[in-house]
Amino acid sequence: MKSQAEAFLTNSIYINRKRKAVVERAAQTIFSFCALFSILAVASIALYMVLNGTPAIFQVGLKEIFFTTAWEPTAAEPKYGILYVILTSIVGTALAVLIGVPIGILTAVFLAEVAGKKTAAVVKPALELLAGIPSVIYGLLGLRLLMPIMYKLELALFRDSETHRFTGGANLLSATLVLAVMILPTVINISEVSIRAVPLSMKEASLALGGSRIQTIFRSVLLTAKPGIVTGVVLGVGRAMGEAMAITLVSGGSVNMPMPFCSVRFLTTAIVSEMGYSSGVHRQMLFTIGLVLFIFIMFINLILTKILKGGTKGA
Amino acid sequence: METDKILVQSLNLRYGTKHALKHVSMKISGRSVTAFIGPSGCGKSTFLRCLNRMNDHIEGVRIDGKVLLDGEDIYDRRVDTTLLRKKVGMVFQQPNPFPMSIYDNIAYGPRLHGIKSKQELDGIVEEALKGAAIHEEVKDRLKKSALDLSGGQQQRLCIARALAVHPEVLLMDEPTSALDPVSTMKVEELVKGLKEKYTVIIVTHNMQQAARVSDHTAFFLEGEVVEFGPAGSIFSRPKDRRTEDYIMGRFG
Repeated sequence: MKSQAEAFLTNSIYINRKRKAVVERAAQTIFSFCALFSILAVASIALYMVLNGTPAIFQVGLKEIFFTTAWEPTAAEPKYGILYVILTSIVGTALAVLIGVPIGILTAVFLAEVAGKKTAAVVKPALELLAGIPSVIYGLLGLRLLMPIMYKLELALFRDSETHRFTGGANLLSATLVLAVMILPTVINISEVSIRAVPLSMKEASLALGGSRIQTIFRSVLLTAKPGIVTGVVLGVGRAMGEAMAITLVSGGSVNMPMPFCSVRFLTTAIVSEMGYSSGVHRQMLFTIGLVLFIFIMFINLILTKILKGGTKGA
Repeated sequence: METDKILVQSLNLRYGTKHALKHVSMKISGRSVTAFIGPSGCGKSTFLRCLNRMNDHIEGVRIDGKVLLDGEDIYDRRVDTTLLRKKVGMVFQQPNPFPMSIYDNIAYGPRLHGIKSKQELDGIVEEALKGAAIHEEVKDRLKKSALDLSGGQQQRLCIARALAVHPEVLLMDEPTSALDPVSTMKVEELVKGLKEKYTVIIVTHNMQQAARVSDHTAFFLEGEVVEFGPAGSIFSRPKDRRTEDYIMGRFG
């Protein structure tokens, strides 16, 4: 029986099938193994989080954890309510997305559709650099640049307030703004790629109907690029929700109702700031917080994608 | 009584160093079908796209000469291209419906031009779909995605979409080249009917199609109009040797 090369050279269609089958099967096995590896990673992380995150739930009780607001893990009679912490993460992420996503999408439109080649050649590398900056640097900048401004604003706004606890600028609003900037590169890059991938025919269809450039961008191009933009937004939301380092520095750190000028604690910052000294149930609770965060991010990836992408086809 | 709808005077188009259209002059009569034929790369599609200024968006294109539409030069400074394109609609080679419902596809144009009333839009959509002979097939699924239609239906939808902004001229760039023979026949029938209300200009690489649907035919070769005249005489008694060679299938 011939090898493939022999068959090629002799122009025969007979071949040593066993030898070929071994190669084909080996390749298939390697691919499957690689795919299995990532599934295994996700599965083991999920399992680990569930195993470590649930004991505290049984000890403290769902009701106290999710429906009370007092977080006093080191008190003589410890309290483990994380409602405010959860709300902070939700509100903080939502606000950051509300600010960051429109700016990000419009920047992507600018880069892909409006800017000249020279302008894009300057802005593009700057954005790529922005994506590569370690998150803690964002926090440092927020600390030095943003917080003084926030503090002044706070002083002006709450001058006559007797109940306001001053934060020195380390509050929800500062954290939100830092997060908004941090998600920009993700949203911009992915949106830009999907806007550039819109076929010329979609643009021409709109222009030929008498659409202006702007009308064409907003009614045809962005609509066609929507699935890609949604991916960018979802990744941005994930990044905002999961970010810890930067916002530790600018969010204040007390557990409070998430109001703009309140010092707040996110799910992520709670873990980061307390893990070092926690023990016992407190430590287990931090794993529960991790589990909550994990579920949130899973939820965002699965559900948000479905909701936002629904309606792309059809009406 | 036929009148000159479009008058082209010595139009030149240069693309980089390439002289793609050379001194093209032509009179196109209203409410008739004019076909442009010629081998690939002869400039027929490029010329068609000059008539609604779709080449404006391509970098490196320079155009001189005049194109008079009802006596107004479409390359005049005062021209608003959105108004020009409302008056001169276009159908492309590949059906290109938007990823939205059939209804929204048709309503896209009227909405661009500020029509918001549901009642008015409903009327325009129905009229346009009837005008493109696709109303019967889609009237019960206007809210369904246009992408679920067959290729031939998508192309007629695109024609309906162009009609919805009430153009006077309809440019068709090889509208059947991506379609099967049955769909092609339907579009051809449609084109023949459209000339009652519109001035239709169609680019085709299919000579039989040009012979079947057009009143006037122009033969393009290397950026020049070799011959232009009534379709009957172009196909039965071509004056130029090159035209004869092409329609006899000796090249192209």
